[in-house]
Parts: sequence; structure tokens; C-alpha cells
Amino acid sequence: MAPPAASQRYPSPSQPSGKSEVTDLKSQLRQLAGSRAPGVDDSKRDLFKKVISYMTIGIDVSSVFGEMVMCSATSDIVLKKMCYLYVGNYAKGNPDLSLLTINFLQRDCKDQDPMIRGLALRSLCSLRVPNLVEYLVGPLGSGLKDNNSYVRTIAVTGVLKLYHISASTCIDADFPATLKSLMLHDSDAQVVANCLSALQEIWSLEVSHSEEACREKESLLSKPVIYYFLNRIKEFNEWAQCLILELAVKYVPSDSNDIFDIMNLLEDRLQHANGAVVLATVKVFLQLTLSMTDVHQQVYERIKSPLLTLVSSGSPEQSYAILSHLHLLVVRAPFIFASDYKHFYCQYNEPSYVKKLKLEMLTAIANESNTYEIVTELCEYAANVDIAIARESIRAVGKIALQQYDVNAIVDRLLQFLEMEKDYVTAETLVLVKDLLRKYPQWSHDCISVVGGISSKNIQEPKAKSALIWMLGEYAQDMSDAPYVLENLIENWEEEHSAEVRLHLLTAAMKCFFKRPPETQRALGIALAAGMADFHQDVHDRALFYYRVLQYDVHVAERVVSPSKQAVSVFADTQSSEIKDRIFDEFNSLSVIYQKPSYMFTDKEHRGPFEFSDEVGNIPITPEASGDIVPAQQFEANDKDLLLSTDEKDDNKGVSITGSAYTAPSYDNSNISSQMQELAISGSATSAATPQSSFDFDDIFGLGLSTAPARTPSPPLLKLNPRAALDPGAFQQKWRQLPISLTQECSVNPQGIAALTVPQSLIKHMQSHSIHCIASGGQSPNFKFFFFAQKESEPSSNYLTECVINSSSAKAQIKVKADEQSTSQAFATVFETALSEFGMP
Amino acid sequence: MPVAASAIYFLNLRGDVLINRTYRDDVGGNMVDAFRTHIMQTKELGNCPVRQIGGCSFVYMRISNVYIVIVVSSNANVACGFKFVVEAVALFKSYFGGAFDEDAIKNNFVLIYELLDEIMDFGYPQNLSPEILKLYITQEGVRSPFSSKPKDKPVPNATLQVTGAVGWRREGLSYKKNEVFLDIVESVNLLMSSKGNVLRCDVTGKVLMKCFLSGMPDLKLGLNDKIGLEKESEMKSRPAKSGKTIELDDVTFHQCVNLTRFNSEKTVSFVPPDGEFELMKYRITEGVNLPFRVLPTIKELGRTRMEVNVKVKSVFGAKMFALGVVVKIPVPKQTAKTNFQVTSGRAKYNPSIDCLVWKIRKFPGQTESTLSAEIELISTMGEKKSWTRPPIQMEFQVPMFTASGLRVRFLKVWEKSGYNTVEWVRYITKAGSYEIRC
Repeated sequence: MAPPAASQRYPSPSQPSGKSEVTDLKSQLRQLAGSRAPGVDDSKRDLFKKVISYMTIGIDVSSVFGEMVMCSATSDIVLKKMCYLYVGNYAKGNPDLSLLTINFLQRDCKDQDPMIRGLALRSLCSLRVPNLVEYLVGPLGSGLKDNNSYVRTIAVTGVLKLYHISASTCIDADFPATLKSLMLHDSDAQVVANCLSALQEIWSLEVSHSEEACREKESLLSKPVIYYFLNRIKEFNEWAQCLILELAVKYVPSDSNDIFDIMNLLEDRLQHANGAVVLATVKVFLQLTLSMTDVHQQVYERIKSPLLTLVSSGSPEQSYAILSHLHLLVVRAPFIFASDYKHFYCQYNEPSYVKKLKLEMLTAIANESNTYEIVTELCEYAANVDIAIARESIRAVGKIALQQYDVNAIVDRLLQFLEMEKDYVTAETLVLVKDLLRKYPQWSHDCISVVGGISSKNIQEPKAKSALIWMLGEYAQDMSDAPYVLENLIENWEEEHSAEVRLHLLTAAMKCFFKRPPETQRALGIALAAGMADFHQDVHDRALFYYRVLQYDVHVAERVVSPSKQAVSVFADTQSSEIKDRIFDEFNSLSVIYQKPSYMFTDKEHRGPFEFSDEVGNIPITPEASGDIVPAQQFEANDKDLLLSTDEKDDNKGVSITGSAYTAPSYDNSNISSQMQELAISGSATSAATPQSSFDFDDIFGLGLSTAPARTPSPPLLKLNPRAALDPGAFQQKWRQLPISLTQECSVNPQGIAALTVPQSLIKHMQSHSIHCIASGGQSPNFKFFFFAQKESEPSSNYLTECVINSSSAKAQIKVKADEQSTSQAFATVFETALSEFGMP
Repeated sequence: MPVAASAIYFLNLRGDVLINRTYRDDVGGNMVDAFRTHIMQTKELGNCPVRQIGGCSFVYMRISNVYIVIVVSSNANVACGFKFVVEAVALFKSYFGGAFDEDAIKNNFVLIYELLDEIMDFGYPQNLSPEILKLYITQEGVRSPFSSKPKDKPVPNATLQVTGAVGWRREGLSYKKNEVFLDIVESVNLLMSSKGNVLRCDVTGKVLMKCFLSGMPDLKLGLNDKIGLEKESEMKSRPAKSGKTIELDDVTFHQCVNLTRFNSEKTVSFVPPDGEFELMKYRITEGVNLPFRVLPTIKELGRTRMEVNVKVKSVFGAKMFALGVVVKIPVPKQTAKTNFQVTSGRAKYNPSIDCLVWKIRKFPGQTESTLSAEIELISTMGEKKSWTRPPIQMEFQVPMFTASGLRVRFLKVWEKSGYNTVEWVRYITKAGSYEIRC
């Protein structure tokens, strides 16, 4: 009941620190405390007001506690109220001092004036000091029996407060039973309502350890109790009516007459001015009739117009709450608002959260009869100043198209969006056109001709770019320049930050290759090389997979990557119907707003990142973009600590294009084209490709990154010079000059990872295998080492190695550069063997 | 648990807590910091009025320069929460004398604490009816100097009892002169396409009452709505009088109206609260009389020039007139120079909202007025984006006119002492969102 202590506030610098003021107040209060002079109450009132203002703006005035209590010995109710307020605020922090107040609060509980009795009782219950519980029982007991309804109302809530401080005291005093009899017999509606809320809360919490509570809780839902409340519902105020209606929802009617009786009783609640009452009534109607399909439909008809009124009256926040509910209803019964679609047209000045829900409504209620009007209206919003809304409305148009109404006209409209030449409109539209084509392949001709005209340079958003790339791959045969557009994109591989786009590029390059091999061959080669060198695990894996499946059999590859597709008839719904039903059961609550059932946001384990509400104030705001940072960038960040960072990065970029195959001695154009033809034939012919064609495979794509064991010549025994020497300058120069001849990943055994806590141990270990370390760095989990080695026979033949070990995945990435490239595989084997022995006894 | 608010906070625009009340201990005291860092200091603020952080949900509204935040820890009833805030603010306003803002809060700490304690106990809404609260509230509101003159003082420490059946009215009220003021206030919402088709048009109306009546009077209100008239003619078994009848799409009533009687007899009968209140609200979509027609023509002449011509016609009775007519005609951001002529009123270019603002103080019925403007634009190189024309917006008030055609047929007051009453009825139609696309 109290505002937080002063220390939690942030008083602005302009506010007085308050020390001198408080001392001043203290002395003034002391003077007045004993005075009986006329008019003293007025000056006390002013002082009390001051104290409370200070308290509110965050100045600690707890030091005048004693004086305040002394002054409160008065019959002036205004003063008393302020004093209670003060005491309520500081009692929790000063349990000892609050003992002082118990005395006069208890006395006031027996005052002549019912207001003072009530206020004192409320303050007493709001002290919330556990060791004062014993003083509460007496006053509460007499409060519940008070002949004034105001006091009883407060006493009832007081019982609930006591229960939360000390459940056992409350139960032992048999308060729940008293409340129950009050609930059923009291003449005052507010007392009854408070009894109901208190009992609901107490029994729900008691249920787990008391069978009696369970019975009592159920008895609240018995027919006599429900009818007792419903028959009197008009006597209650609007808030209590909500409470009763919420109770009635849980009631299980005995037969259909029972249902109709209740509905007749509550019919007029739909005309109540308070939207909360209307919504609660709607819930009762919907839940009661769930089992009666016909009546349920009639209920939808009946509740329609009150709900529409609620949307258009009241503040935008209220409309928002109502619209969320309408959206839930419309998903269950799309027809209900179909003819009222105009109510969901957006107004220019509405807040975007209302507009967004209205767009969702328009999408959900579109059917054969109104699609034309709705889509026309939605197209107006595409030019909206608010970009988020413009995007939403384009998405809405697309969704309606996918619902299969009047697709023809909608496709035209979507294509017109592309002509608006606004980046975000184009981006959204591309995503939609992609989905449309998946559902209606027959439109491909119209769409492709327009999509083909879009310059990929204008599209930056990953989703849109992916969509465009997907279409380029899928409809390569219809778009004359598809391979060249793809090639362009692939050449900028390094600048492409989104892994999603890179994945799509790989797939599109493959698809395009199957359709137009000669034109795509170069692009695919570059894409596969870049993909396999990619730091993103998925991209790397997909590239490698494509590479291998191509190598195995081109025909199989085509069947895997680009099979003939069936049109998608229904897109997967993101939410299961079970969850939707649960949300429906929790109608008229936060669940509907969040669109998830309550256990997902009230149970701790479902809550996600914000686990502990107490610490929540300190949680930093997580950047939304964190998902987009690919590991590559993190590695680069680590590189900054390293000696050789800058040169090495340049080399990375070079490798995808310049990396030459060590087994490709003859590499001329005529040769390639003949092989290409052979490949093309084997790709389109039904017979499986011969192993021979895969033998020449790497040459065709200009790849040199073979990891296929069959092709690897058995490594010649490589002897390394144990006393090799290379100065850092020379290493750096060589590293810059040489291309990467080999990239490899291998695993490190767990003992090795354990031993890696001291990185020096790895350096020593490698030295024993004649591989020397020149630089090392990084922090757990990523360590980076640069090694070199020399051939024993020829001191001029150096092997330079970069080795990145990730201790959490127990993997090492190795890049080898060699003067004599033909032996780099052999060196890599030696290196790998040495590394795998690390940590072994 | 239907609604159990854990705390309510009042914050200013910077996020400082002006005043707060913690009703339950189930949320930490620093939840408001979470609100500040996660909602106020991010772009989230305008995105959604309900947000979850940690185990708590924040239900918030901005009213003038104050944020009112309700914190709940359970799966609360949101509609109820918002309604509570709206009602609470209305209550504060009645104490502060009309204004609810940061200053009003700072001047009324003690009163607000008192009110917050009475209107909600342990998170459950209690009584928000100003009449009843007058019995319990000891403080008087500090009114802002600009607000209207204080009404009668709240009755301090009244010993009057509230009768169970009529919770909104005290007994024993007495006035020398018994008067009832009834206002029908309608707002017309219009959305017209650039081709002049009405896309959407509806009226939301309110019947506001101000009662200064002694004792426990019973009132009966008759309107020219269809259902009411039909029922009446049926009961009196004579044909309905010819004349316009209005079909109300939906009606809601103040809690004082006897809804059972409305449903059976279709008459609005009630025992009114003392003073001002909103008796009923209604909504109409069919047969709306639009008070104004707007005919815009906008021509873009090349890249740097535009011609705007807006004709506004009043289509209500010639004897009536509209007041405070404002037409906001949007122009592009890069407007450099405007040159215009109007046949009545005054026009001005307002660069802060990118609009030509045309004001006409008094607009008689059955007349028309035009604005023609030439607009020069700063030519922007490489600016491909065409200007997305926002709609023309209009504001107005037309006294003695109802867009729906609704009329009061009778207002009967019956009290056991049988005094005479004076009834005043007024009508006014205002622009709600009156938008014409161009």
C-alpha cells in the first residue's frame, strides 16, 4: 500500500535535498503536538500536507514518525486520514516504530464515527508487518460484524490482506466461514462483492493443501449461489458485475433451460455503458453456448453490434483491447463481421497499434463479397506515411490473396506496388509474390515479367532479397538474365551479411545451373567455393552438401535440389488449434492481447529472458539485431588482438576467386566446354552419371577444395625440420603473398580441450612435432594460433598454418599456405595427427 | 482472479514518478524502472498499450502529459483495467476542476492518495461514483486557476446513507429551482474516397444530462428512434406518426437506466444521479446527413508547382450555421511558397503540420465557400518519391443539428412531491474524424 521507500526514487536535481526542511518540520510538529489552542488543527493540516508532499516527491521524512504519531491524537478526521497515510507508508520499513501506532489504530477501530473505524481498520491491515498479525484478528472480527457497511467492506478486504500476511492466522480465526455467511446474507452489495473476490482468492490458494477449500471453491459455482448473484446483479456496481460475470463463466449449466435462463437474465448487460461489463457478458454468452451450435451462432449475431460500438467509442487503448478480442472471434467465426468491414477502415490519426489490429481484422473478414472493397482500401494504406503500417497493409493484401479470393485482381495490384519504386514497398511485395507463386504457379508468367525488371541493387532487406533470389532460381528459364543477376550477387558474397540470403544464393545457383548449365557454371563454382569457406555453419554445410551431391551424381542432385514442386494449398498455421482454444477459454484477459495462453506468460519457466521480476529493472535492453551477426564477424573481432590480423583478412577474400586447384594441370577453355557438355548431357539424361564425369568435376567449377578421400593421393611421407626458424616479418610477408591451399576442419579430443586452459601447452606439444608457433591469441572459447614448419630436406619450403580452436564445440579450423602447394595436403595430415595427439598422455 | 491490480503509477513524460500506490506486494518496487527502461525509453511506447516485462504486465495510457500505468501480475482483465483508468481520470477531473495534468497531480497529492484508497482496495476496484465518494473524501481539490468556477463543495463527512437500490444518488437533495439540461452531442465520422464515394460514414452520439432535481425523481425520455416508436404505436394501437424515424445500431446506457424496462417497453426510464452524467450512447450507420460536402481538386503541375482548389458546401438547413469550421489541406513537405484566395474565412500555411489551415468562424447553411491556392515547391533533385497525399481533414460544430436526425420527443419528470421542472434540450453535431481523400 505504500509507495516505495525514498531511496528507490530519482528525485530530480532541482528538488530540495530536504534535510533542513525535515528538521524544520520536526520542530514545528513538536510544538503543535501538545497545543490545544484554537485553530491548531488548521496549522497541523498544513504541516501534515507538507510532510506527505515531501514523502511523495521522494524525500525521506521517516524521522518525524514519532511527532506524527503524537499529533494524531485528534478528533479531526482530515488529520487522521493524513496520518494513516503517512504511517502506512513508513510502517513496513520501520516495524519497531509501527508498534507505536498499533495502539491508536486499535483505539480508532472502536471510534464512534464509522468512517474513522473503517479507515483505521484499513490502515491497520495495510501495515503489513508480520509480527503485528496478532493485533489484527480482534479488530477484523468486530469489523466484520460492524453495523456500518463501509466498515464491513473494508474488513472483508482486510481478511484477504491478513491471509496474504499470515494464511494460518486467517484460517485459524475461521474468517473464510464468516465471509461466506456475509456473502450470502449481507444487505450491502459492495460487502458481498468483496466477500466474493476475497473467498475466490483464498480458496484458490488453499486448494492445494485442503480438501475443504476445494469443496468450498466448488460450492461457489453451485446453482443456488450463481443464481443468487445473477438475480441481484443490478444492485452491484459495474466492477462487481464484472466479478460476478467472470464467476458465471465457470458455471456448468444443468440443461439448456438453465442456459436460456441465464442468458435472459443477462441480456440487458450488453447495453451497459461500461465496456468491461459488456465484454464479460459476451464471454458468458459464448461459453454457455459452446455446446449448442445454432445458439452459438445466434450469439455471434447478438453480440456484434455492442462490440462494434465499443470499438468506435472510448480511447484508442480501449479500442485496442476490444479489437484484440474481435480478432479472436473473427478467427473462429469469420462471417460475423463480414458485412461490417467498413468499421475497420483506418482513420488517418489513429495510433499504429489500432491500425495494425484493424488491418488484421480486414484480412480475417475478407470473403467473396467484400474482397474488392477491402483490397482497394488496403492499397490506399500502402502509400501511408507510417512505413510500418504501409508494410502491414501490403502483407494484408497478400494474405487475402492466399485466402483465394479474387486472386486475379490482387496479383495486378501487387504488381502495381512494384512500380511504386519505394524500397520498403518493393521489399514487402517481393516476399508476397514469392508466396503467391508457391500457391498459384499459374501466375508465374505475369509476375516474372515484372519481377525480372527489378534491380537487385535496390533491395537490401534479407527477406526480400531471399525472395527475389528464390524466384531467380525457380524461374531461371523464364528470366533471360537470371544467371547473370545471380552471378552478380554471388560475386558480392563477402558483402552479404545475412546468412539467409547466402543460403538462398547457393540453392538458386544450383537450380539455375540445372536449367541453364553453360551460363551458370562459373557462378555456381564461385558460390560453392565461397560457401564452403563460409564461417556460418549452415551455409558451409549446405555448400559442402551440394558439392558432394553434385560430385556423386548430377542427376540425383537435381532431383534433390530442384524437384518438380506441387503448389502449396494451405500454408502452415503458426498456432495450433489447441492453443487457440485455450486463448478462447481465457477470453477477456491478457491472453487475448498477447495471443498466447496465460501459462505461457505467468509461469516462470515460460517467461524467457526476464526470469526474476525483482531484477528486471537492471536487465539491459538486448539489441534486436544480435541474431544477424555471423560468427565470422566475431572472429574478426578477435583478430584485432593478433599480430597478423589485417593481412589475413584480405587473403580470405581472395581465396574464393583465386584459389587454384593443385590437381588441375590443364585448364583451358576448350577443354572445359567439352566437359561441360558431357556434364550437361549426363545431367539431363536419365542414366546415372559415370564416375568419370565426377573425376573431372572440380575442374569444371574451378574448384580446388577437395575433401573427397577417393581423390586424395596417398600422402608422401613428409619430414619436417625440428629446428626450423622463421622470423615474424618473413612469416607475415609470406602469409600475405601465398594463397590458401587448404582449409580443413578437424575435431580436438576432450583432453586436448581441457589442456587448452594453458594455451602454452599446445605450443609446446606442436613443437615436439616440429611445428612451431609464431603467434597466438584469443580467449575462451576461441583460440587462434599461427604455426609454421619447414621441410627437412628443403629449408626454403615453408608451411604456414592458421589454426582456430573453438573449445566449446571442440573443433579446429585449419588454413594452410605452402610454398610448395602440392604437398600441403600431406602437411595438413601431419598437422592434424599432431593436433589429435594433443592432451594424450 | 478477474482483476487485481498490484500497483498504479502516475508518471510524467520524462518518466519520473509523480505519485503511486502499491496495492499488493507481489510486484517489486522497481517495476516502474522496468517500465521506464523497457517501454518509455524505447520505441515501444507508441506501439502497444499493453506490455509484458518479467512476470508483470503493464497496462498504460497517456492522458495529457501524464502516463497512468497499472501493473498486474496475473492474467488480468484488460478492458476492465482501461475502463478503470478512464473512470478514475474522470473522477480526478471532477475534483481538480476539469484539468488533469502533471501540475494538477502535484497540487493534490493528499487528495489523490485518499481517492486511490477509496476507489481500489487490495487491487479490486471499489466505488468510483463521484456522488458516493463525496461521503468519504475529506480533501478538496486544488483547482487550477483557469478551470471553471468550483461547483458546490463536496459534502464533508456526510452522515447520509446510501440506499442500496440507487447507488448513484443520495437521498434528501433539494433545489429551489428544479432544472434538467439535456444535450444530444453527435460526432460524425466520414471517410470519402478521392472519387467522392462515401467509404465509411457513421455517427456516434451521446445524450448528456445535467440534473438539478430534488428528491428521488423518476425520469422518462422519448426519442424518435424506430424501435421506441414502433413499440409505442403498438401499445397504443394506433399507427405511428409519419415523419423520420431513426434506426439505432446500438445503444448503451448509464447504470441508472432500468434496462429491463428498456428491453420490455423500449422506454428509457431512470432515476438520475445528481449533477452531470452521460445518460446514453448510441451508434448509427444508416441514413446519416452529412453536414458538409468537400470537393477538392489538386493538380500537380510539373515538379515545382501545384494547384489546389477546395470547395466546401454546407448542406444543412439555411437557418442554421456551423461554428469553428477548420479545413486542413495537406501539402508536400517541400512547400516553398503558397498563394491563396478564399471566398470566406482565413487561410494560412502551417509548415509544422504541412497543411494549409483554412478557418471559417461562422458558416451558414446552404452556402458554399472555396479556397484556391497555388503552391510552389522546392525542386528536389533525385527525389523520386511521389507525394503520398494524406486526406483533407475537417473540424466543425453545428448547433441545433443532428447528423442522425435524432430528436427528443419528450422528457418527463415524476417525483412524489409533484414539483414543476424546467427542461432544456440542445443539439449539436461535431466532426469526429472527417476525412476526405484527394
